[in-house]
Amino acid sequence: MTHLPYIAAAYGMTISLAVLLGTNAALRLRRARARLATIDRPARTGRGTER
Amino acid sequence: MNATHSLVARTGTFFHRYANPGRFLRLGARLQPWLTWPALMLSVTGIIWGLFFSPADWQQGDSVRIMYVHVPAAWLASSGYAGLAVCSLLSLVWRHPLADLAAVEIGPVGAAITAVCLATGSLWGKPMWGTWWVWDARLTSVLVLFFLYLGHIALIRAFDEPQRGYRAAAILGLAGAIDLPIIKFSVQWWNTLHQPDSITLTGAPTMSTAMLWPLLVCTLGFTLGFAAIVVARLRAAVMESRIRAALSARRGRGGTVAGDAHGRDVPDGAVA
Amino acid sequence: MTRKSRRLWLACACLIGLGSATALTLSAFSSNIVFFMAPSQIRAKPPAPDRTVRLGGMVVAGSVRRQTVGDTPVALFDVTDGQAAVTVRYEGILPDLFREGQSVVAIGTASPDGAFRASEVLAKHDETYMPKEVAEALRRSGKWDPRYGKAPDAASWDTMTVRNARKDAAGPQQQHGS
Repeated sequence: MTHLPYIAAAYGMTISLAVLLGTNAALRLRRARARLATIDRPARTGRGTER
Repeated sequence: MNATHSLVARTGTFFHRYANPGRFLRLGARLQPWLTWPALMLSVTGIIWGLFFSPADWQQGDSVRIMYVHVPAAWLASSGYAGLAVCSLLSLVWRHPLADLAAVEIGPVGAAITAVCLATGSLWGKPMWGTWWVWDARLTSVLVLFFLYLGHIALIRAFDEPQRGYRAAAILGLAGAIDLPIIKFSVQWWNTLHQPDSITLTGAPTMSTAMLWPLLVCTLGFTLGFAAIVVARLRAAVMESRIRAALSARRGRGGTVAGDAHGRDVPDGAVA
Repeated sequence: MTRKSRRLWLACACLIGLGSATALTLSAFSSNIVFFMAPSQIRAKPPAPDRTVRLGGMVVAGSVRRQTVGDTPVALFDVTDGQAAVTVRYEGILPDLFREGQSVVAIGTASPDGAFRASEVLAKHDETYMPKEVAEALRRSGKWDPRYGKAPDAASWDTMTVRNARKDAAGPQQQHGS
């Protein structure tokens, strides 16, 4: 008797969850960085450097 | 008391160096590639090694390969919660603002890895033990850990005033740490359907080295991956709170507001 | 004492209090946390005939008898903890890992005459992981018979590779051939 479906399901769910979390974190980081860049520019001229 | 006083103060100073969000962002940006790429390489290597090149077990056959994802997930579920408990302590005692943000970000990642641990364990239990689930001490205490994560996620976002959420969630996070030794020793203290640990600090692992190596590679890869995801989320969170601070500062000066920051409730004064 | 160190002591005190409360609760309920009873416990204190209990132990080597009643396979086997043995009767298909010498957990009822009728049998594998060839080599060299107990100390086999084990297996036969 083969247990292939169980093995495939276990690996499949682990990998898909890792990909989901990873891309979510990367996208969030990219969006935050882009927004911060657009906001920082006018703020910088008004209040000097924050960083 | 004098000694403890200075120790407490010194520990606080040490951690507060990294509470500076600008310093954390620089450190995080430098750290990120050293976490992400080794994590990807090691995880892919470990999974391919475990799936195709490691031997089948003498009694479990190929089903033993589920171990290479189940065991690292189980270890990470516990150590991720230990990280959450440390953040809770830093938050409660030193009012560390970055620890609050870290607790917010560790919660969902830890809950996800605990879910992976429970699901892969179930997928392993059905063909081997003959059941998806039993209420023995090991399985039940890990399920409790999953609910602790869920409770923490809900609590830390439950209040309009974020500081109160941080405080309440930190108490839950610290109290829940009691579950960690129960999980670890459940298979020794009580007889369970789950087998005892193969890899212990005191003895040689009762596992062939041909299976131990891919397991260790997977564990290292998954751990780095967990760290990489948490660091990335934390960097994004710090940036988001800066965005909110900048927007509210502009709003305060009567300037136009380009749009509202989405979602997350971090007070403007917390990290910016 | 500063407010910070007071908060630290408070956190420690709460943790110690909560920890000891948990420890006391767990030790009070420890008999309920136990997933199964051993054969000697069931022999010493037989549970009520209508109460479902879980019996855990090792399948005695040579005790497994399989029959077929009508269409359903029936298995009879003894489960032991080294001190006492209980005969288990189970109708149905046994799990894949069921074998002599394996630890199992049988869920069912114990009748007053000592027989145990199981409605479910779960296999409990141990923490030993080794390739098939290595297990075979250990068995052939007489170091371990899986039907009679646990594998020998891990240090004696954990670095044995599949190739070595195969060579071991091939060796004596080649000598026979030549």
